[in-house]
Amino acid sequence: MVLELQKPRPVWQIMFSTHHTDVGYLYLVFGIVFLFMGGVLAMIIRTHLFFPGQGVLVSDSATFNRIFTVHGLTMLFLFALPVANGIGNILVPIMVRYKDMAYPKLNAIAFWMNPVGAALLWLGFADTSWVSYAPYSVIRAPGPAADMFIFGMKILGISSILSSINFVVTIMKCKHPDLSLRRVPLFAWSMLTVSLMTIIAMPTYAAALIMMLTDRLGLSGFFNPFAGGDPIAYLHLFWFTFHPEVYIFLLPAIGMMYEIIPRFSRKPLYSQASGVFAFVMLGIIGFASWGHHMYSTGMDFTTKVVFMIGTLAAVPASGMHVFNFLATMWGGRIRFAAPMKFAVGGIALFFSAGAGGVLNSAMPLDFISHGTYWVVGHMHLFLIGTIGFGFVAMIYYMFPYITGRMYNEKWASAHFVLMFWGTVQTFFTQHLLGLEGMPRRVYDYPTEFTSWTQLNQISTIGAWMIGASFAIFLASLIYYSAKGKYANMDDPWGLGGKYYYPVAAKNPHGGHSGY
Amino acid sequence: MKTLIIAISIITLVAIAIIPQIHFASAQLAQTQSAKQYINLRAEVWNEFFRMTTAAFTVGAIVSGTMIWLVWRFRESNPKNKAPTKWEHLEDPTAGSYEEEGH
Repeated sequence: MVLELQKPRPVWQIMFSTHHTDVGYLYLVFGIVFLFMGGVLAMIIRTHLFFPGQGVLVSDSATFNRIFTVHGLTMLFLFALPVANGIGNILVPIMVRYKDMAYPKLNAIAFWMNPVGAALLWLGFADTSWVSYAPYSVIRAPGPAADMFIFGMKILGISSILSSINFVVTIMKCKHPDLSLRRVPLFAWSMLTVSLMTIIAMPTYAAALIMMLTDRLGLSGFFNPFAGGDPIAYLHLFWFTFHPEVYIFLLPAIGMMYEIIPRFSRKPLYSQASGVFAFVMLGIIGFASWGHHMYSTGMDFTTKVVFMIGTLAAVPASGMHVFNFLATMWGGRIRFAAPMKFAVGGIALFFSAGAGGVLNSAMPLDFISHGTYWVVGHMHLFLIGTIGFGFVAMIYYMFPYITGRMYNEKWASAHFVLMFWGTVQTFFTQHLLGLEGMPRRVYDYPTEFTSWTQLNQISTIGAWMIGASFAIFLASLIYYSAKGKYANMDDPWGLGGKYYYPVAAKNPHGGHSGY
Repeated sequence: MKTLIIAISIITLVAIAIIPQIHFASAQLAQTQSAKQYINLRAEVWNEFFRMTTAAFTVGAIVSGTMIWLVWRFRESNPKNKAPTKWEHLEDPTAGSYEEEGH
């Protein structure tokens, strides 16, 4: 894959390859394409909300519901997971010093299920919101869109499980005998943790999807109150999977920061052991807090307290990562190239999002913020502020490795400034909108609420800044992958020494050899 | 500087943890002194929680401040930071280990 554009191979050769770098490359391209498709939907949503009462861009609420549903599904399952899998596919075998993933064909099959699932989600364009809560999703949601959503999610879920099995076996069974598990790099540890979490969590949602489908077909009534079912049961099944899934999205981004921060600080990681411990702790604690999404469903006080404590238990483990990053930077000689800028920005926003999470976990405050824009702001601060920044940092970091060329640092800086400022302006403002009482997922709002209008417009301007930053990103990716200066593959950022260990990896297409 | 930041952090955290306890204890004491006074324990628990939230934000401010200082102090363009670190003499500075270096 290295120097792909200098020594191009036919596209079909990459598409039908089972080599881990090729499959990783396919995942990355797939994820980036859907990042921009989901981003266009986000711009439509925010621009529409800039002009209350006018129906700008979206003329009816049903279409609006479909747009934010597919936006959420795209960003979570067609961008975040594939990009993490892509980077994981490229780096994990190298990190554990194995020739490929444990099951290369299974790896390729897992990838090729993604376009099928994506096609079902986009062609169906369901209106259930990404959580697809019962009873709406089983009683009223129009078919075939909702049915295509079920099958699309089913396929993506199976793909996740297959790739997770592959990561677990690769790391646990195929690592070099001289490499103890303790010394496996932390990005590989993050992939191991999220893979184990996926294997445990995903079957529950798979079962819920089957139950939802049979409910829709009238064969059962698990979640249908008219047939004696309980919609709250769906919420439990859904959040048992998808609260851990939050960590499944998050931890690879943290793992990527562990790759970048020591290299650009020019010193060793402060503590490998605490990083491993924090990953494992978050992997366990992730399963102890799903109920905090459901405080307002009539849960008894004791249960809510248990889930509140379970949620707060994530704070020390998250703090360990942050302190590890800061201690690593301390005493270093830091070069703020694009990967480092995005990594440090991601840490700052991770902490801000975590502070909002502490408030969410408090029952009395949750009753106020539940179902409001506060939740939208909090969730996006994690998704863009941490996961987005981590992934973008890693894409810049991998850019020379994949293309053999360098991106332009000035344009990357412009991307960072716009994205950071835009993220703060958009999502901090949405927290305030939530406290002002604006519900989430609304098509329109009364213009008499001037504070809602003002805050929405501030938020939308921030979203446009994020949009502009990603336009720069896309243009840079395309232009500099073809026209950028050739990178010094031993040391692309001039940090000194031989930093860039992926280039020493065994390359199936000639070029470098190592290990 | 490092010692000062650590000292301030510890003092702040201890103060935040102790002050609510004193308040809580004095509230309970007041209840025993006057039977007519009623303290809603659940509300007190929540007050405790909100104070802990304040603690979380205080820690957040300290961490954010530390991060801003770190970025300013340890950037390579800082005049105080011109000399290469001891790890930069290694072929791969990230391959070392704090434990092995005796930290």
